[in-house]
Amino acid sequence: MGILIYSVVVSITLLLTAIGFALVYGVSRLANFAHGGLYILTGYLVWGFLNKLGVNYIGATILSLIIVAVVGATIYQFVLKRVRGMPESEIIASFSLALGIMEGLRSLGLVGFAYTIPVFVRGTVVVAGVPVDWQRLIIIGVGLGVVAFLWVFTHYTKPGLALRAMAQDERAAMMLGIDSDLMAVVCLALGSALAAVAAITILPLGNITVETGYNVLIYAVAVCVIGGLGSWPGAVVAAFILGFAQILTTAYLSPQWHMVVVLLAILLTFIVKPSGLLGRQKQLEERV
Amino acid sequence: MRKQLSFIETIGFCFVLVSSLLIASLSHAAPVSEGRPIVIGAPLSVGFNYGLGSKQSIILAAEEINAKGGIIVSGKRHPLKVEVADTRDLEPGVPTSEGLMVVEKLLLQQKADFLVGGPIRSEVMLATMDLVSRYKKPSILSVGAVTPTFNKRISDDPNKFKYSFRTSGNSINLTTEGLGVTEQLKKQHGFDKVYIMGQDVAWARASSSLYKSELEKRGFTICGYELYPTGSTDYSMGLLKAKESGAKIIFPWMDMPETSILINQWYDMKVRALLIGYMVAATHPDYWNGTKGTCEYIADLYTKAGTVPTPALPKSVEFVNSYKKRWGKEPISEYDGSCYTAVYVLVDAIGRAGTLDSDSVAAALEKTDIKGTVMGRVRFDKTHDVIYSQDPKEGAVSLWAQWIKGKRVVVYPSEIASGRIELPPWMK
Repeated sequence: MGILIYSVVVSITLLLTAIGFALVYGVSRLANFAHGGLYILTGYLVWGFLNKLGVNYIGATILSLIIVAVVGATIYQFVLKRVRGMPESEIIASFSLALGIMEGLRSLGLVGFAYTIPVFVRGTVVVAGVPVDWQRLIIIGVGLGVVAFLWVFTHYTKPGLALRAMAQDERAAMMLGIDSDLMAVVCLALGSALAAVAAITILPLGNITVETGYNVLIYAVAVCVIGGLGSWPGAVVAAFILGFAQILTTAYLSPQWHMVVVLLAILLTFIVKPSGLLGRQKQLEERV
Repeated sequence: MRKQLSFIETIGFCFVLVSSLLIASLSHAAPVSEGRPIVIGAPLSVGFNYGLGSKQSIILAAEEINAKGGIIVSGKRHPLKVEVADTRDLEPGVPTSEGLMVVEKLLLQQKADFLVGGPIRSEVMLATMDLVSRYKKPSILSVGAVTPTFNKRISDDPNKFKYSFRTSGNSINLTTEGLGVTEQLKKQHGFDKVYIMGQDVAWARASSSLYKSELEKRGFTICGYELYPTGSTDYSMGLLKAKESGAKIIFPWMDMPETSILINQWYDMKVRALLIGYMVAATHPDYWNGTKGTCEYIADLYTKAGTVPTPALPKSVEFVNSYKKRWGKEPISEYDGSCYTAVYVLVDAIGRAGTLDSDSVAAALEKTDIKGTVMGRVRFDKTHDVIYSQDPKEGAVSLWAQWIKGKRVVVYPSEIASGRIELPPWMK
């Protein structure tokens, strides 16, 4: 039972860290390598609002979320828009921004192990004989909530439908009057806000360090590659596969191998289905 | 017939006598003149706790020495000047060559006379030993880089590496400390079942496997031995296995920040095993506030004493107070005491050598024997490593501190302990 519960927890943690990245790529075909930087920026912002400005917890999280969403939109408007359509430049530009954010935070002296944000609720419940802390249960709830929100948003709202149209065929969407750049700005803001949601729910489990930003980026890319770049439902499936694989490896083999499992999964995906589990990017070429 | 001196003659005689004494004393004290600053190069990865804490400790020691007038060498008074350079060697993906370039810049451009501090990562430190030999500049490594290869290299070629010294000790000392505290727990509480969690990096693999094999020889039951990749963010399976196996001690060997997740999970799951080991994350003075107390009952190994004050080491109390006054908080890294001491060790050697000549200072460093430092007695062995002991009168000590009610209490070794290891309420 412990394996099942903690596999779900780890899967949804992976999903939360990756879904913003998947959404941005799916809609605007931009690989936002600043994702890890935005994640960790959120952590430090919440910490700053709580500890330096005395803002309450709810206020601190909402303010941080808004700021990070605005930063994401600004990144598109002033940097990525200018290099859009040049994949190498997009990656270099967004990765440079990630380095700028993370190393900038480090140079501000935000190092050490004392930067933490509190859990929403401290305590443990016993589920089928397995002790699980409230924060991890909240992660499950938030993860499922985010998936539900994205589904409703992309199926029943105008901006969501516009984003889907962009993801399916950007030129056709433009012919129907959808402003491609505006939608990309909205998408970057939404993707950044999702990175912020992940940070707010996951970072209370440990502490905030710059290195976490790099790890988040690696996991986000892994989930998206396996799920299929551009497909957020694919990211959901991939997160669950990786989460269960990691916990099963830890339980029956050794935790030493759980990163190897991730790399192996990427390798297998490239061999068997290069476009990822639910990716459509190269489906035609694969068929041919 | 003796003639008695008149009053005026007596006064005149006294005047001449006092004047002569005054002139004589002045002629004796006169030659001290101002000399150039002695440049101490500090190559450190300052974007990390280890580097930042070391930098602050080195600067503090230099400021204290300058406030007392600096060092007098050959009739000249020299102040100390600390030049810190960021080696970035702890950052992921930064190549060894970059750290080396920074060290070389310190030696050639900043014209450092001596090096104190890092580099912190072992491979950069080992490569720096060659640079130090090439430029003939004495170096005292005082933070991280605890690889025993340092000792082997000096032992193999003592003449080439005669300028390299180390006050931070080596990883074998860490394992000895781990074994000592585990034996203490067996004596104190009868705990003989241990679950070992190591980080999957070279130093931790070596320390944890040596610790495991030594425990087995001593009759302990090893309930589990697992290695976690750097960056692991979930320890639930390990903790559940430890719980099911009936382990009484969970012993991590980890220096990654994610150890905080392990500590929080241990607290939340209320595993009936004491969490005690090498967990760098919990050595920060603000860690209690950061975790809102979930770190209570965690006992942590500090490679060298000094960072946590204990009355058995009076200098450590003075050091922590001065550090707090200068930098606004208690020392932030387990090596701060070692770095602070290294500056005093260097100054002592320069003083005994009576010159800034590298060979003379290196020879004087070999004969170092300072008692009562923040980490006990400082002497170097034949491999230029600080002599380790559990008795501060015999050598440099490590320490174990346990978080109790928001404070760190030194609980091991007994020679410097100010309290006993306590168990969390859910283990009673």
